[in-house]
Amino acid sequence: MSDILEQVSTAIIEGDLDEIVDLTEDALDEELGAEEILNKGLMAGMDHVGVEFKAGNMFVPEVLRSARAMQMSMEILNPLLAESGVQMLGKVLLGTVKGDLHDIGKNLVAMMCEGAGFVVKDLGKDIAPEGFLEAVKEHDPDVLGMSALLTTTMRSMESTIKALEEAGVRDKVKVMIGGAPVTQAFADQIGADGYASNAASAADLAKQLVS
Amino acid sequence: MQVRKTNYQVNATPTFQVLTEDEIEAIYYAALHVLAETGVRVYAKEGVELAHSGGAIVEDTTEDSSLIKMPSWMVDKARATLPERVTVVGPPYKDGKRKHVMELFKNQIYYGTGSDTPFTIDPYTGKRRRAVYQDVKNMAKLAEALPNIDFFMSLGITQDTAVGTYDRWQYLAMLEGTNKPINITAVDIEGVKDQLEMAYIRLGGKEEWKKAPAFSLYIEPVSPLSHSEEVVQKLLFCADNGIPMVYTPCPLAGATAPTTLAGTAVQALTESLFGIVLSQLRKPGAQVIIGGLMSNMDMRTAVYCYGSPEMALLSAAYTDITKWLRVPEYETAGCSDTKCFDEQALMEASINIATAGLIGGNMIHDVGYIEQGLTSCPELLVASDEIIDRTKRILRGIPVTDETLALEVMDEVGPGGHFLAHDHTFDRFKTEIWRPTISDRQVWENWELGGSKTYQERVHERMIGILEAETEPLLDEEMYQELRRICELADDRHKDEELDLQMFV
Repeated sequence: MSDILEQVSTAIIEGDLDEIVDLTEDALDEELGAEEILNKGLMAGMDHVGVEFKAGNMFVPEVLRSARAMQMSMEILNPLLAESGVQMLGKVLLGTVKGDLHDIGKNLVAMMCEGAGFVVKDLGKDIAPEGFLEAVKEHDPDVLGMSALLTTTMRSMESTIKALEEAGVRDKVKVMIGGAPVTQAFADQIGADGYASNAASAADLAKQLVS
Repeated sequence: MQVRKTNYQVNATPTFQVLTEDEIEAIYYAALHVLAETGVRVYAKEGVELAHSGGAIVEDTTEDSSLIKMPSWMVDKARATLPERVTVVGPPYKDGKRKHVMELFKNQIYYGTGSDTPFTIDPYTGKRRRAVYQDVKNMAKLAEALPNIDFFMSLGITQDTAVGTYDRWQYLAMLEGTNKPINITAVDIEGVKDQLEMAYIRLGGKEEWKKAPAFSLYIEPVSPLSHSEEVVQKLLFCADNGIPMVYTPCPLAGATAPTTLAGTAVQALTESLFGIVLSQLRKPGAQVIIGGLMSNMDMRTAVYCYGSPEMALLSAAYTDITKWLRVPEYETAGCSDTKCFDEQALMEASINIATAGLIGGNMIHDVGYIEQGLTSCPELLVASDEIIDRTKRILRGIPVTDETLALEVMDEVGPGGHFLAHDHTFDRFKTEIWRPTISDRQVWENWELGGSKTYQERVHERMIGILEAETEPLLDEEMYQELRRICELADDRHKDEELDLQMFV
């Protein structure tokens, strides 16, 4: 691996917000392709971050700092990637369900998914089934993620899946759900494609769902 | 009488303090700054209008919410009518007598359970599963029998009852199990109304409620600095109907609040001060208890820590603040992040129970919580009763008087004698020396003869003993049916919107 890719990767791992933009531009100056910088620099760094996080050697704020460094680099690379027709991992649409203002878990999932290389559209909180449906139609995501903290608002997840079915778009999107009272059994029962118990595994799950 | 002593100070109890008065004031004035400068977001039109009419500045109004900024004088004005003492009672027994009363004010301690866990540990199989009606009734029965549990919250969500009305069924299960004061939760404002109706029936009328309310209502604004429509509706309803409200945000240091504990305390106080002002605008004298559950996010797992030292420390610091403010407080203890009834449960519960007791938190809740508040554990509830008892011995301190110094006794016994048969011992050993109820102090041989039981096994036996003891029903059949009727009527009103009732179980 070239020195500069190694430096990009290290800047991602260290979440070096001061250096990442310059390093990305340096890599482009060395005539490396955007796709190569993405895969061998950014993603290599994020993969390392993922391994260290799961091993308990890195912590949430550090992972988020790495994801932010990656976003800063991606802002430079995105137009070039689009030009050369490189596909991102996919698009994830996220929201906290109707009646629920508890969105810290969903926010974490958004940042973890970005770090994993997804384009993330975050709808915010208190999203009704119709809101999710409209957004699915508008943004055409690969994965729809819904989160709830309360058992009373969990029900809204099933209503959303029903709304997607009735509108005939259920097959176009994978649905993953999460939140403190949610379980795999509940996900199976309401016909979701997957359940994740925490933000890091939600990003892994999204990867599985699109692969 | 000869007087020989002067300038003699007494510690009737040990004293524990996290913050100095200067530090408390720094946090309080910082909260006033946040309330006036940063503001809070309110998702309820009625709340926005009330705040505005009381002098608040309304900005950045969107389709569903507004940013509210309150000048500090609004807080000064609200504090002038805010009750310093709030009382919640248990319903009467069949002889017409109330035996359980919580008088919440500075330095008064009451321990109670936590509420609304989706899961519970089955008392017989030890397995984690969804909680149902019978679990809540069982937990209430344990709380009724345990002398150091002073109030009850539904240690489990009744998930074999309808999703939109489970709060009424939970209240019924609680009333079946205990006559101790209750802190209820409610799905929505209809749920509060129904449960209030049930309380009127249980007490024998609205006038009885007015004399002394039999429950408080748990209301949780969302951190950071957000107050949902449901939260504001509940607050206003409580103010209108003389229901003490537990207005308690649950900020999470590092995630939904600053990672510094002082910053989290400022934010929590700002969130509660908004509730205080709104309640007093609606009705001067409205009864508010502010909380009390604040902790840190674990940065490896992103969970809310219930057993961390920061949880105990921050809750204690908040107690210092509420004592200074002279507002009753909702504290947190008896809880753990563990997954089963194990050493971690006992270690974490012991430390936070002792800390909450030493600092003097008023309504110390969440006894029996494990798994970050997702699971209720009956054994931890039973063990905590003994931990609280142990803590209370420490709180009784060491009275130092001529009698307790025992100079005459020592002189009588003299070098080489013993104190076992002395009247001084006979008269005082029971009050001076604490005796465990579950902890073991036997000699080895007797412990072995008794089956070599571990603490966990002995706690389990105590729990089963209470659950299986024959007790007279607390509700007579007629009253039970009357209360049940309210739950059923609520079910009827909601039947069209319910999913399969078995979806959780």
